[in-house]
Amino acid sequence: MHEPSTGCEPLTGPPADLASAAFSSLYAENNRAIYYLALRYLGDPQKAEDATHDVFLKAFRKLDQFRGEASHRTWLYRIAINHCRNLQQAWHDRHVFANTDDPIWDCAVANADSPLRVLEIKELGRLIQKVLDALPDEYRLLLLLVADEELSYEQVGMLTEQSPDAVRGKLHRARKAFTVLFKKYTDSNHETPKPIFR
Amino acid sequence: MKHQSQFSDEQQSRQAGTEHQTQPEAAREFASAEEMLRYDAKQTAVPPEIARRLQKSTGDLPGPKTAWWKRWLGGGQ
Repeated sequence: MHEPSTGCEPLTGPPADLASAAFSSLYAENNRAIYYLALRYLGDPQKAEDATHDVFLKAFRKLDQFRGEASHRTWLYRIAINHCRNLQQAWHDRHVFANTDDPIWDCAVANADSPLRVLEIKELGRLIQKVLDALPDEYRLLLLLVADEELSYEQVGMLTEQSPDAVRGKLHRARKAFTVLFKKYTDSNHETPKPIFR
Repeated sequence: MKHQSQFSDEQQSRQAGTEHQTQPEAAREFASAEEMLRYDAKQTAVPPEIARRLQKSTGDLPGPKTAWWKRWLGGGQ
């Protein structure tokens, strides 16, 4: 993907009104998906708001470079993933953690296909964030992307730079990890998880 | 001790990153992590502030001049 030289050139290609309509439509169709990914990946509503703004602003600047080789959703996800990773890296560089604990799901016995039950739906967002925060970045991202029904395994593979088969394999482990942690937190209720930092 | 009462439901919801639409509370079961995330995504409101900020940001840039954000914010054509 080409970077704009300054980010301030006028859009070329479609006339301004068509480009504007295209951007309007792009935002309307994808703002929830991008915001949700940023929210649950970064775990912070304000950061997610800033990230979503920045992602769409980048898209606005690059709209003329979109060649239709991927879907708009995939294109936006790629911008969002890079943006969120950069934010995470910048944060991580300022906070050094040492965590030698083995992930609890490695030795846990759990059926990844067993249903997940939540008693208080209003607590769901908090609980999901708690679980996602404790997962490795790779699993978190994989689950968030696969949860988007508009993406195929092939597209998820492109976004995470691996084959569809690798996506399927890792997805199984990511589901198991999510299930183990979810049940741990709903059962013990209130134990704070130790984040896994990479 | 009622320190936690300083935080309203709205603040707590904001902290969790969700502004779930009001609905009757009930236990719920999800077949998989993805199904749960899908449900959570549908319930999560996108802050309208993002569109407002984009309105300003894109307005400062050369490029499309049509007020795309008006349609999104429901401000008319």
